[in-house]
Amino acid sequence: MPAREWPNVGARHAPMSSITDTSRSRLPAPRDPAPLRAERRPFRDNPRLVLLGIVLLIVALVAMLRLADSSAELNPDFLSEVLLYALSAADLTMLVALLFVLARNVVKLIVERRRGLPFSRFRAKLVLAMLGLTIIPSVLVLLVGADLIRSSTQRWFSQPVDQVLRSAMQIAADYYREREGAVASHADRIARTLPADAVEAGRLEPVQKLIAGEVAQGRVGLVEVYRIASSDVRTVEPFVAAQSADLPRGHLRATADRMAATVLAGSGDTEAHEPLDGGGELVRAGALILDPQTRRPVGVVVASDHLSGDFRQITDAYQRYTQLRVLRLPLQGVYLSVFLMMTLMILVSATWTGLYLAKRITRPVQRLAAGAREIGAGHLDYRIEPETRDEFGSLVEAFNTMAGELAASQQTLERSRADLERKNLELDERRRYIETVLERIATGVISLTPEGRVQTINNAALKLLELDRAVIGRPIDDVLQREDLRPLEVLLRPSRSSGAGTVPGGHEIALAREGRELYLAAAASPLQREDGRPEGAVLVFDDVTPLIRTQRVAAWRDVARRLAHEIKNPLTPIQLCAERLRRHFGAAPPAARDLVDECTTTIVGEVESLKALVDEFAQFARMPAPRAVPSDVNGVLDATLALYNGLFRDIRIERRFAEGLPAVRLDVEQIRRVVINLLDNAIEALGGSGAPARPDGSPPTIVLSTALDTVNGVARIVVADNGPGIPPGDRDKLFMPYYSTKRRGSGLGLAIVRRIVAEHGGSIEVTDNSPTGTVFTIEVPV
Amino acid sequence: MSAKKIGFETVKTGDNRNGMRFGPLVVALALLALLPAADGAAQTIQVTPLAREDRVLVSFKLTDAFTEEVRAAIHSGMTVTFVYDVQLRRSATLWVDRTIGEATVTASVKYDNLTRRYLVTRAQDGRTERAENLDEEETARAWLTEFEKLPLFRSSALEPNAEYYLRVRAHTTPRNAAFVWPWGSDIAGLAKFTFLR
Repeated sequence: MPAREWPNVGARHAPMSSITDTSRSRLPAPRDPAPLRAERRPFRDNPRLVLLGIVLLIVALVAMLRLADSSAELNPDFLSEVLLYALSAADLTMLVALLFVLARNVVKLIVERRRGLPFSRFRAKLVLAMLGLTIIPSVLVLLVGADLIRSSTQRWFSQPVDQVLRSAMQIAADYYREREGAVASHADRIARTLPADAVEAGRLEPVQKLIAGEVAQGRVGLVEVYRIASSDVRTVEPFVAAQSADLPRGHLRATADRMAATVLAGSGDTEAHEPLDGGGELVRAGALILDPQTRRPVGVVVASDHLSGDFRQITDAYQRYTQLRVLRLPLQGVYLSVFLMMTLMILVSATWTGLYLAKRITRPVQRLAAGAREIGAGHLDYRIEPETRDEFGSLVEAFNTMAGELAASQQTLERSRADLERKNLELDERRRYIETVLERIATGVISLTPEGRVQTINNAALKLLELDRAVIGRPIDDVLQREDLRPLEVLLRPSRSSGAGTVPGGHEIALAREGRELYLAAAASPLQREDGRPEGAVLVFDDVTPLIRTQRVAAWRDVARRLAHEIKNPLTPIQLCAERLRRHFGAAPPAARDLVDECTTTIVGEVESLKALVDEFAQFARMPAPRAVPSDVNGVLDATLALYNGLFRDIRIERRFAEGLPAVRLDVEQIRRVVINLLDNAIEALGGSGAPARPDGSPPTIVLSTALDTVNGVARIVVADNGPGIPPGDRDKLFMPYYSTKRRGSGLGLAIVRRIVAEHGGSIEVTDNSPTGTVFTIEVPV
Repeated sequence: MSAKKIGFETVKTGDNRNGMRFGPLVVALALLALLPAADGAAQTIQVTPLAREDRVLVSFKLTDAFTEEVRAAIHSGMTVTFVYDVQLRRSATLWVDRTIGEATVTASVKYDNLTRRYLVTRAQDGRTERAENLDEEETARAWLTEFEKLPLFRSSALEPNAEYYLRVRAHTTPRNAAFVWPWGSDIAGLAKFTFLR
């Protein structure tokens, strides 16, 4: 039943239900509380690691500065083959790292903005501002610094310095060349001057005297004489040497030995120079000592002279300068690489720091927003782990406290909701039970609002009053304005006078239903709230028609029994007296005798009729209970119809028996009597023997049929005729005792028929046949 | 045979008065200028193989190697080394060419501005072969860039009537490497030959 029909029960709880439903939708199932886990802190949140990173960064920057500072002193190969490559690779790596950091965070920001995450716009702006504040100055510094490096390296090489160094180098080289030539010249001259025989013979004095003089005169600083070895003419051995006291120490004799061997071997490379530990170098030149006659070498003279270290310093200075110029590009590259790397390191660090700060600023707010969303979604066990002890940390603590209190409130609310739900279910069950009872009972119930409108109406009331559910909400006065329901207005009259809705008490009200009378036991009860205010009324109807009928039948049975007793007793003496009169006047004159015969015959005949009438009444009064046994309905009907074979030739009696009828528990004799009664009535309605054709030309016909209604579990016996039919006004009285439309009928036939059918647990209905006639339908349970 | 440039770039000193005015532009151009420039002079390596007895004799000559940059580097007194990577390879149709043998020939020169002499040294696979003091630049150039019949590979590993080729790649150290992209490319020369026995 829709809740609309019984709002007095459901309506009271509807608000409760709505609260319950709302609470269900708003309060999802509680989630298991997630414990606050101590997550591993990332690098950025570890102050020690951050400090270590900063220290390493500073160390790297200092190391690079030192490296750049000393790059001019580095080996050119190392500079151009290792250092520049390494720095360039490091720069590229750093650049890739920077691009990666930027791209990653830009993509993250874009994704966050597209997802519409909270604070994504704020974070994007913050990040962009920090990147701008970092990158723009860094790039500008890089550009300006690179230009400064380039111009500074170019300023290393000025034209005057270049000319001075070049000239100095030229002078030094010329002087060196001159000294080299002079020493070679002295060596040749000494070789020619030395006595070859003395050298060959190994006489020291002349040789020593000569070379000592050369040294003493300062032409050369050192003269070393070698003579051909006696064992091998292709080797030389030291013979004698003379050295100036001013000649620095530290020169190696092996150098002179090697030169002597070279000169003896005939090599053109007769000049050499030997660096000295104390600075400067020794310029050496060798010459063969030839025998004047044979031109055969007998020895070698190696003359050496000291050259000041200033020349070498000039040379070194010039070479460093020119090397610096040659290596300008790699050096510039190193400086730029170092500078670029420092810029990139600062950029990466600043970018990362900027992103980190942006995250540090927005992260707590985001976490709070996420927490608020979780709380809003009903996840009251959600907590935010405080990461800091600052104001954000206090805010997080306050949030967690609020969430805890909300969770406690929600638990209380949940308990209340569960209790309310349980009570609501109980009430709902009770309401359903009452609804079911009201719908199943045969008593009609109508509830009225205080304004007199129909609030609810159950099925029995709808059926009894032949209403539909459209009456719900209509004023009861309007509903009862219908002609056949006007008798019910008596239930409402007192209400208007008393103002109490209706007057309590029962009424027996008869309503006309298609020519029949429907007897209702009706009562109206006003409803009041606890505070005494009227809450409407309830009208209750009970169909008491069967009860009334039973009461009438019982009365008629009593009447019949009394009538049979009171009438039948004097009939026998009357009959006997009439027969004595006939016998007494048997010898009387014919006229008198005929008169007496006629009168006595009439008396006896009427007495017989009265006896038969009284017997029938007695039988109605003393009808025994049926002795039902499983019987073949069709067989019973066949046997009954056999009694009519050949009796009514003008009436066609048809059999339309259903096949496969199950056995039905019947009292065969009583059912046969029922069928005979119905057939007799039909034959009489059609005109009996010599029945004329029907007005439509069809022959008078009686159809006896059977059917099985498996749905309702009944067997039907139908007796239909095409006679004139029964007026609707007489149908209700048909089954009443002593009601007959026949001239000589006792009026008990159909009353007995209905009683037999009723005592078999069945029912009998009379309806019109089509186009004319009457149909009696008997239903007995299978 | 490819033709590229190796060696040092010309270093020019000049007026820098306008350097700061067009700072960023100059820097950007400078970054580009610091890249190895393509010189007009085409350097080549002429390679000549010769199979003799059980050796593959390799002759090669690096032309136009003594650019102004190289001469400046040599005359600055730093040791300049010409590095030649020689590979004996055999062509493969469906796969990368197979390397039969490899050798590294280096020729270094150190110029003494005081004595005006070139101390040149030749080495093969790190082993010093010869050293000379030369007075003439041309002689030093020939010493550094021209190699005659170096017995670098044994021919016993070669297949008769098969075609091989010699590839010589050359570069100098120190490189006149530049900022941004110091990785330069070598000069390479190639000569095919059929090994006949």
